[in-house]
Amino acid sequence: MLSYILRRIVATLPVMAIVALFVFSLLYIAPGDPAVVIAGDQASPEDVERIRQSLGLDRPFLVQFGSWVWRILHGDLGTSIFTNLPVSAMIGQRLGPTLSLMTITLLLTIVVAVPLGVVAAWKAGSLIDRVIMGFAVFGFSLPVFVVGYMLAYIFALELEWLPVQGYTPLSSGFWPWLENLILPAIALGCVYIALVARITRAAMLEVLQQDYIRTARAKGLGQGGILFIHALKNAAVPIVTVIGIGIALLIGGAVVTESVFAIPGLGRLTIDAILRRDYPVIQGIVLLFSFVYVLVNLMIDVIYTLVDPRIRY
Amino acid sequence: MDRRTVLKGLAGASSLALTGGLSAPALSQGASARTLRFVPQANLANFDPIWGTQYVVRNAAAMVWDTLYGIDAQLQPQRQMVESEETSDDGKTWTFKLRPGLKFHDGEPVLAKDVVASLSRWAARDPMGLMIIPIQQELTAVDDRTFKWVLKQPFPKMLYALAKNNAPCSFIMPERIAKTDPFKQITEYVGSGPMKFAKGEWVPGAKAVFEKFADYVPRQEKASWLAGGKQIMVDRVEWIVMPDPATAAAALQNGEVDWWENPIADLVPVLKKNKNISVDIGDPLGNIGSFRMNHLFAPFNDVRARRAVLMALSQEDYMRAIVGDDDALWKSLPGFFTPGTPLYSEMGGEILKGKRDFDAAKKLLAESGYSGQPVTCLVAQDQPITKAQGDVTADLLKKLGMNVDFIATDWGTVGSRRAAKTPPGQGGWNMFHSWHAGADCITPASYTAIRANGDKAWFGWPTSAGTEKEVTSWFEAKSLDEEKAAVGRLNKAALDDVVYAPTGFFLTYTAWRKNISGIAKGPLPFFWGVSKSA
Repeated sequence: MLSYILRRIVATLPVMAIVALFVFSLLYIAPGDPAVVIAGDQASPEDVERIRQSLGLDRPFLVQFGSWVWRILHGDLGTSIFTNLPVSAMIGQRLGPTLSLMTITLLLTIVVAVPLGVVAAWKAGSLIDRVIMGFAVFGFSLPVFVVGYMLAYIFALELEWLPVQGYTPLSSGFWPWLENLILPAIALGCVYIALVARITRAAMLEVLQQDYIRTARAKGLGQGGILFIHALKNAAVPIVTVIGIGIALLIGGAVVTESVFAIPGLGRLTIDAILRRDYPVIQGIVLLFSFVYVLVNLMIDVIYTLVDPRIRY
Repeated sequence: MDRRTVLKGLAGASSLALTGGLSAPALSQGASARTLRFVPQANLANFDPIWGTQYVVRNAAAMVWDTLYGIDAQLQPQRQMVESEETSDDGKTWTFKLRPGLKFHDGEPVLAKDVVASLSRWAARDPMGLMIIPIQQELTAVDDRTFKWVLKQPFPKMLYALAKNNAPCSFIMPERIAKTDPFKQITEYVGSGPMKFAKGEWVPGAKAVFEKFADYVPRQEKASWLAGGKQIMVDRVEWIVMPDPATAAAALQNGEVDWWENPIADLVPVLKKNKNISVDIGDPLGNIGSFRMNHLFAPFNDVRARRAVLMALSQEDYMRAIVGDDDALWKSLPGFFTPGTPLYSEMGGEILKGKRDFDAAKKLLAESGYSGQPVTCLVAQDQPITKAQGDVTADLLKKLGMNVDFIATDWGTVGSRRAAKTPPGQGGWNMFHSWHAGADCITPASYTAIRANGDKAWFGWPTSAGTEKEVTSWFEAKSLDEEKAAVGRLNKAALDDVVYAPTGFFLTYTAWRKNISGIAKGPLPFFWGVSKSA
């Protein structure tokens, strides 16, 4: 297993290099110029050109790319064109809020969606099943920002239970940290919960029709034992897969959620960087996200072996 | 249902709830009354006020760095860091003496050598500074508190140049910082202004913090815009960047923030209904909407085509698209200069007045030789003001019988593409939309968009000898009457040649909690004199 994990990690390097080259090329050919944004609306063309030169944006593509790769190989993600701060420091500043939001959302999803999916499968065709799946369709259909505004209205403005915006680091205390994340996590989690609940239901339904479940029932095993010990474990592979794939949904959804709740996370940093054409920041974030995806895939593969002993590498 | 509809509904409903007696602060609120929490107009992405000239950078910089002179509410330059100045009889030598006791935030005294380095860096980037450099003989420190600027010819607008509020302002930095190439960013943010920048707390794109500078010695005069005694009444000012207007409105309503610089027009009625919030015009100098036609290529290389568009355009359409139904927020502008300011003129403005004449405009357009070729119209969708104007223009051009190639994209792309001097079909353009702060359109000195010196002019590259002649006349004017006369002629020449198309004058609101007092109207948010009660 260890050698497998090591091989997978080594295999990620060319993947990330290809992603990096792709992203760098894409940015290079895309319209837009950071110098224009920096110079401001009233700047002269000469000012813009001078800024381009000072940033090295007038150099040939291969020179810029080579310089970037060289820095990456030395562990340097570069410096933001706008803030003049190291990209790694900027990402570090924003990582905490985004990781916090994703962690809470993930926990919320697992705690809510999996039991809902199991119950829906158990009561398939019943009113409970239809209600749960109805909620799932509803949650899946509502845009994150609509849910976000509704939650903010009810819980922040009407009831005044929770703040409408901002982020407090965990170092300031558990509750101050959590209270800023509850509403965004629910808003972000709605789609995710709906997705996982539906997949869980489908996977459970398939497993519940297997012979060994019938055997377990025939032996007089209780419903809870059948569902959560025998069935859920065997239905876990697709559920784990969709939870892993859902990380992508979380990252995408976090962009909107962080804007709606003014959370200073990576999503907002990404959007700001793209709008300003802050190339080093965009490249750094893309590399990070690529790494996260690769890591998540690796973790999923490892979890497969834990939940299903038939899977071996 | 679109996002704006949702947020309007949310904000409206929340306002009703709050005015219904549910206005107690949120449980999460715990900020001290000595901290003022402010939502700026945009993200503070960088913090070098010479390198980057966005308004938001200038606004933050005005807290941290001081200027030798400051413009006051009467638009007059007043001494700020300077104690006295002398001009030689021939008007060529200016000698300035600094106030005693001025200190930078690192504890070092402000010396004449710091001023010399700062002015040199500023002059390399500022339009007025760039006018001084060619006539500069020397700029030197005489002693620690005295410096001298010797020119080859008089420059009567010197004090205005040093006091003006349009970016880049002539902020004074320590010499070691000011020696940075003006086209490269500074990395230290040390000034001698009334507040210190807490760099360690800066999260670009999210938060910027400023702390009261205990050693700042304010002038004794009453504060007036960038002039007078800058008394800071709170310990900290926190800028909280909120990209979503609905969130900013909600945060202001439940007391999570204290002051929102520029609420969008859609949400203003909601805020006005809240008994805990004051809403008022933020900047009486407002803004001037504009679209620029490319003078280099057909059809707008022909003045008849440009005039045809001017004859047909309705400023009311443009203004209502920007500010909505609030008539107090806009007015027609048959000229280029800011209404209500001394040099405002309507000379030559008949083409923008009265009933719009589409028949005459179509006839003039035909005379220009326009024969249906595509007109490339660039519109930045991510800026509501430009998007609104772009939609009106597209409709206008279609009514004129023009073939519109409407390119809706983001500001980064528009900003880049508008610099292209290639023909519209080869990556160039025919028109784009923008707006100018009214504070920048008071005199020709700070009014980049009015210049019509061909290749050296702003995007669109208009050439108008008459306009340029009157710009020079204004700089040489020796009295206000002469200035007014020059600007009147300038207004007419610029309209005759259609340097650009003014789409009207509009104002924006600012909003704050009622426990905040001392907010002054002006072209930027002034934090001196602003206090907060618990």
